[in-house]
Amino acid sequence: MTASDIETADRLGRRRARILPVLAIIFILQQSSYFAAVAEDGARSVDHVKISAWLVLTVLLLLLLATGGSWFRRREVRALLNDEVSRANRTDGMRAGFFAAMIGGIASYILTYFEPMSGREAIHLIVTIGIAAALLRFGFLERRAHRNG
Amino acid sequence: MVETLGNRLNELRSARGLTQAALAEAVGVSRKTINTVENGVFTPSALLALKIARALERPVEEVFFLEP
Repeated sequence: MTASDIETADRLGRRRARILPVLAIIFILQQSSYFAAVAEDGARSVDHVKISAWLVLTVLLLLLLATGGSWFRRREVRALLNDEVSRANRTDGMRAGFFAAMIGGIASYILTYFEPMSGREAIHLIVTIGIAAALLRFGFLERRAHRNG
Repeated sequence: MVETLGNRLNELRSARGLTQAALAEAVGVSRKTINTVENGVFTPSALLALKIARALERPVEEVFFLEP
């Protein structure tokens, strides 16, 4: 591990902290595409593309939350980007995501008494809430960790 | 009564003329980790506390202490 690795990890860590909330917002905004497609019965092939894009982004964001990202960097840099503080922040983020998803699930359940909702819509909503909350929390903690340094 | 972990990291690091990045390199962690431990934002594991103390060539209880 060299001074250059420390600098690279610092730069990438700061960038990750800035990008995480942006990714959460993009992910939430993308939901409008899904619900617009559902409103139009989701039969057009362009809607299938939109839904597939959401699915791909979901898997990528889950992988980012599970591993910390920077998959194409050197092992030493990845280790620095995923050290004790980052692991603790990711765990905290995933905990926040879990609780947000559970609250989203309960809210969806209550909502079905007033407004019919398909299983797919409910899953979509719960997954989105969970991942977005985890990204926002992880991003907030990473930004705080980089402050005053 | 809730006790927290205090530290003299800033003082001991400065006395040795080390920057946060230099100490991070010696410990094998990111500069962010040294920064969060130093500012009391993050409570390090026993392993990390021992590694930091070793890098500063000080007993761990001199670097870290319990605060009421």
